[in-house]
Amino acid sequence: MTEHWFWWLITMACIAWYSTITVYVAIKGAADIKQMLARLSAGSPERKANNRAP
Amino acid sequence: MSVSHFNWLLDGSIVGLYLVATMAAGLMVRRYVGKVEHFLVAGREMDVHLGIASLAATEFGIVTCMYTAQNGYEKGFAGATPGILMALAMLFVGLTGFCVKPLRDSGVITIPELIERKFGTRIRWAAGMVIVLGGLLNMGVFLRTGGQFLVLVSGLDAKYLEIMMTVLLVGVAVYTILGGMLSVLVTDFLQFVVMSLGLIVVTLLVLVNIGWANLVGAVETHYGAGGFNPFVNQTMGWPYVLFNAMLNTAAVLTWQTTIARVLAARDAETGRKIYTRTSFFFVCRFLIPGLWGIGALAALGPMTNTLEAMPRHLSASVPAGLMGLLIAAMLAADMSTDSSYMLTWSSVIYNDILAPFRRTPWSEKKGLFWNRMIVAFIGVFLLFYGLWYPLKGDLWTYLGVTGTIYLASISVLLISCCYWKRANSWGAAASISVSALIPVAYLVLEQLPSTAGLAGNIGPYYSGIAAYLLSALAMVAASLLKPQARHD
Repeated sequence: MTEHWFWWLITMACIAWYSTITVYVAIKGAADIKQMLARLSAGSPERKANNRAP
Repeated sequence: MSVSHFNWLLDGSIVGLYLVATMAAGLMVRRYVGKVEHFLVAGREMDVHLGIASLAATEFGIVTCMYTAQNGYEKGFAGATPGILMALAMLFVGLTGFCVKPLRDSGVITIPELIERKFGTRIRWAAGMVIVLGGLLNMGVFLRTGGQFLVLVSGLDAKYLEIMMTVLLVGVAVYTILGGMLSVLVTDFLQFVVMSLGLIVVTLLVLVNIGWANLVGAVETHYGAGGFNPFVNQTMGWPYVLFNAMLNTAAVLTWQTTIARVLAARDAETGRKIYTRTSFFFVCRFLIPGLWGIGALAALGPMTNTLEAMPRHLSASVPAGLMGLLIAAMLAADMSTDSSYMLTWSSVIYNDILAPFRRTPWSEKKGLFWNRMIVAFIGVFLLFYGLWYPLKGDLWTYLGVTGTIYLASISVLLISCCYWKRANSWGAAASISVSALIPVAYLVLEQLPSTAGLAGNIGPYYSGIAAYLLSALAMVAASLLKPQARHD
């Protein structure tokens, strides 16, 4: 472990970081989806058949 | 056929539940798609956390897992070097806003659209062509690799590979065609959670079952110091590190699926935050499956087919119950990657290659119809290309070489667009030509029996480095030789 401390450290950091970010993003991302869909619904009058594509 | 612990009742139920939930979520949001902008960039309403989930899910597919595990198996811990380089590049770009800030502020849908403002419509079209060529050749091996993993891990007979490929593709195509970027984002989120859970659990299993000391011991036995240091590794060395530094920096700046998250972000600041906060994921992206590959090396020893080592090892070592989670996680990873890739290349075809044919604006209905058709065409192409292309050499290098077809020139064009006033369309054309010619020539030389030896002597790293350097040189030289007073 001491000989290859760099890879041991980075492996542990990956597991710790990834576990934390998964839980955090799972909670916050769900809220983001809710808000995104709400904003798109609020803008739904823009969805008219005669709109033009870019 | 390998001996797998896949249990059809228990593991099959987990996989089935995941598939039903994903398809339902993907199809549910299709009703929010009323405009081409909703289809291609989700109405630019994406926020930071959804962006992180989507970017991470998109940039990790079964193909990623396979080539990073192959890197771990063939090169030891040093095989994670590209991930570290990519994380550094992404952190730098996220912190400084280098190129991505002016790109997002410009309000464009694709990079070629910005390129047109500086270099004119012909260059935009040419840029679109090389982006699609490089992107589709790159993605062409995804399906087969994904199918190969699933067949090996679940212990199915190899004759089911093509069926597995087709089923995977059809499932993804259905919700991508109907819901576009909105479906991609929502399914990416679910897929990120399932994929991450599976990755963490299987990694802990590998560490517990094999042990850190045995993993390190296996790398030391087979690769010595080169298994820990890329500069002294016989198959890597400075050309590998330099090529990967260039490749990953260019990918961070211009890889269409990555940059699509910046363009779909609410503003430039959100785009930068997504980059900064996702950067370390790219270390995990290489190191976690890399550990699985090293685990296969420790458990199975040397094998001829290094790509298959990791799935063969997992099929025998992951117990029933966890096997369902592993397959659901890998399906999640693959579906999110395939859907995003199909959508982003289709956005370039629609927005940039078909642009000259849309002299008069198309209605939203017609625009959506064509976008959906293009996604379907890409799906058909992937199926046929995946069936016949014989992959030679390691997978990561193939992806690097095909990606370079456009990464070299488009990154040069983007930097010039943002920061060099004297850059002009002559320089852009020269840069695109050089960047496409070198990797395509290398791929052709590699496939022809009479020139395969020559390609082997040159190697993918030197040809890749040449593509990046000469592409930049071509931009500078041609721009200075033929300065233009105004744009085309």
